Amino acid sequence: MKLFRLWLLLGLSVAICACGNGERPDTTGLKVYKVALDQSPTNLDPAQGATVYSNHLIVNAYDTLYSYKYLARPFELKPRLAESLPTVSDDGLVYTFKLKSGVRFIDDPCFADGKGREVVAQDVIYSLQRHFDPASLSQGSWVWQGRIAGLDDWQKAGSDYAQPVSGLTALDDHTLQITLVKPYPQLVHTLTMGFAGVVPREAVEKYGREFSVRPVGSGPFRVQSFDTTRAVLVRNPNYRQEPVDLAAEGYDPAIHQAYGLERIAGRSPPFVDRVEVNFIAEDTARMTSLTKGDELHAARVPSPTYDLYLSSKNPITLKPEIAAKYHMVNWTEPGFVFQTFNMDDPDFGYNDDPERNERNHALRCAIRKGFNWNERNERYYSGVGKIFPGIITPAMPEYDTELSRDSVIHDISGAKALLADAGWTPENLPELVYGIPASVLQNQYYEQFRGFMSKIGYPAEKIVVKQYATFGDISKAWKQSRLPLINKAWLLDYPDAENTLQLFYGPNRAPGSNDGNYSNPQYDAMFERAAVMQPGPERTSLYRRMNRLVINDCATITGLSRAVIIFWDKRVIAYPDRSFVGGFYFPYVDIDDT
Amino acid sequence: MSSASVAAENTTIAVRGRDSLWSKAFYKFRHDRMGMVAFALVMAYGVMALGTVFGWWANDWSEIRGGRFDPISADFWFGSNVNGQDIFARTVFSTRTAFEVGLVVAILSTLIGAVLGAVAGYYSGSWIDELVLWLKGVLDSIPFYLFVAAVAFAMQGSAYGMHVAMVATFWTTTGRLVRGEVIKLKQFEFVEAARAIGLPELKIVFRHIIPNTFHILLVQATIVFVAAIKSEVILSFLGLGVKNGVSWGRMLAEATYEVGAGHFNNFIWASLFMFGLVMAFNMFSDALQDALDPRKV
Repeated sequence: MKLFRLWLLLGLSVAICACGNGERPDTTGLKVYKVALDQSPTNLDPAQGATVYSNHLIVNAYDTLYSYKYLARPFELKPRLAESLPTVSDDGLVYTFKLKSGVRFIDDPCFADGKGREVVAQDVIYSLQRHFDPASLSQGSWVWQGRIAGLDDWQKAGSDYAQPVSGLTALDDHTLQITLVKPYPQLVHTLTMGFAGVVPREAVEKYGREFSVRPVGSGPFRVQSFDTTRAVLVRNPNYRQEPVDLAAEGYDPAIHQAYGLERIAGRSPPFVDRVEVNFIAEDTARMTSLTKGDELHAARVPSPTYDLYLSSKNPITLKPEIAAKYHMVNWTEPGFVFQTFNMDDPDFGYNDDPERNERNHALRCAIRKGFNWNERNERYYSGVGKIFPGIITPAMPEYDTELSRDSVIHDISGAKALLADAGWTPENLPELVYGIPASVLQNQYYEQFRGFMSKIGYPAEKIVVKQYATFGDISKAWKQSRLPLINKAWLLDYPDAENTLQLFYGPNRAPGSNDGNYSNPQYDAMFERAAVMQPGPERTSLYRRMNRLVINDCATITGLSRAVIIFWDKRVIAYPDRSFVGGFYFPYVDIDDT
Repeated sequence: MSSASVAAENTTIAVRGRDSLWSKAFYKFRHDRMGMVAFALVMAYGVMALGTVFGWWANDWSEIRGGRFDPISADFWFGSNVNGQDIFARTVFSTRTAFEVGLVVAILSTLIGAVLGAVAGYYSGSWIDELVLWLKGVLDSIPFYLFVAAVAFAMQGSAYGMHVAMVATFWTTTGRLVRGEVIKLKQFEFVEAARAIGLPELKIVFRHIIPNTFHILLVQATIVFVAAIKSEVILSFLGLGVKNGVSWGRMLAEATYEVGAGHFNNFIWASLFMFGLVMAFNMFSDALQDALDPRKV
């Protein structure tokens, strides 16, 4: 009997081991790009993929009409599913897009014979309409809300797909026309976003809720598996042949030759057979996974670990042992971190009493003077972040290099003088509730902020922390204007300063993107004028004037654009910039298997 | 009664006084060298915590006055953290946090455990006993840290969420021990005598039975004290602990980023101080348990 049990146990063990091996397919001879991301996507439906993590997979599984050039910086648009850039009517209201012909969705049981059918203009229309169908639970409708003729009305009328939308017309299978309510110069940029992924109606209807984890697109990869820890993409064998024109992609030998990128010239992406994406939220674990060889590339290097990998921060260089194994790039992120006052809070923002209103203005300016950006940069971003005044970030073409830096200068005596002149004393200063999500780092930011304020005479006991369970909870508090100060980072959706300026546009007040409820009629008027302008000196001038208004009103403590440092295994031929639309570089990744 | 018999009775009472459980336990504890060392250490930690309450030291724990990760020096005995705050001051101030949490949780959970355990034990077999046992069963069936984290998470707005969570779970062990002891005690003659003279039942429980469980409560309180400190560290590490202060758990949580980058001061000092207090309290608790164990006494 004992012997029987032993054999049984042995048999079971062998069976378990065999099952375990079965989960890992044989990838011998295949080019596999292994990359670790810092968060996992929660949804792969383009209508709901609101994060850069979702976009890593969405823009690879689905086609969008446009994309950004692989290497050109500042970012430049290029056609993807579209044949070329659109033709735009003189009044800027009608955009006509020509779609590439012969592009097919991947083979999937949702199609009549299991064979992917051709992508047509009606698919683009359907994909945009879905954002205005409550059943889609879209998180991206804000991008086109109030912009496309008839789309909002179509939603109000019940989102009936049988009913046409006046602003969305398929002139033929490969020609799409979008009519706008008012000029929207950023329209083409919005068509690069994951939200603009083109989906087949058959798949949405067949898979229902499962569609969010079962993408059916026409992108360069097919999602083979996806869960909260890992996603596997495999090459779409029917992806269109479009040889890489390096010059058109913005190749600059001085910058890109070091990464071996010339080897992809003239070849059609995707170059790897398989992409294995591991989601590792913990910074140390993710970087260890890279350095011990489990990954070929990990998401950006977390700033607390800079000391481990960098030999110099100015200029940024890797330690020799790291540099021997990895390529590295660094740049300044297009977004920024900042704190903005809730202007609806009568203790700090607008107050009906004109005298108190003036005193509040002085208080806000004093707090801004007390905030030490250099120290924040040194302590938490290893001094490699870029401090700038205002809300137009250094990565934007409209950035004003001539703008006074007074608003980012730490000036304790100036802050004290402002408080004293406005009659503020430690006794009558209002309590400042500093909201944070539950995180060690956020607590440290709070302690640092309290330290800064102590130095200008703000009693430490009046800087009170309020902790929220999750980022979602604190975000809700911001949207409900329950906190006097909003600490956040803003990652740009597209490379246009309009995307940060709209954060202070009055009609966007909370629960919109203007969390601080900043309201300045002059600012709003300029924003409305600029919003319909094409890029140019006149618009730039308006942008800069708006920027100065926000600074003068001391509505926000800004800002710092963080450095992005990325290194990856030298066997990987890539320029892995995930700004704006996540993994749009995946198709261009190659592996040097020599 | 004759004078001789009165004298004899007085002598017996005097002998009983010297030979009471408490005096014997005190005698035994005083001669337990490790126990005394542990007690002295606990007292030292207590003084350290008390000093912060009276503002004698470490009240500059939140002040930003140094550079990023300053090394150990005359200014910073334990170095400084990323914000340039003095790790020595933060470590010492954390002792106060530990004692605050430990004392509040130990006292409240012991009180609740004593009352509910005694009532359940005295009315064993009745619906009151069933109810208390059911409540204990429910609370015990939930994995401890999951429950504590859930309550602390749900009460995040409150500075006392963590305390409530711990008290809600820690009283059950005390309650179970007291219940068993009371079931035993209620068979004793002094309880029967109290019943016979018509004392109200609650008075019997609170005046006569619970005082006879003090040796259990004392030991249990020290055990809960240690458990509370450890739980606080874990909860603070998870971001669910102290809100507007500092604790060893917070320091260890900060160290998760720092250790990888070669900055060890937060990690070392928070760990050492926590180890010292937990170890001392465990030894003190063991010694107390030995001293108060009626079988050994």
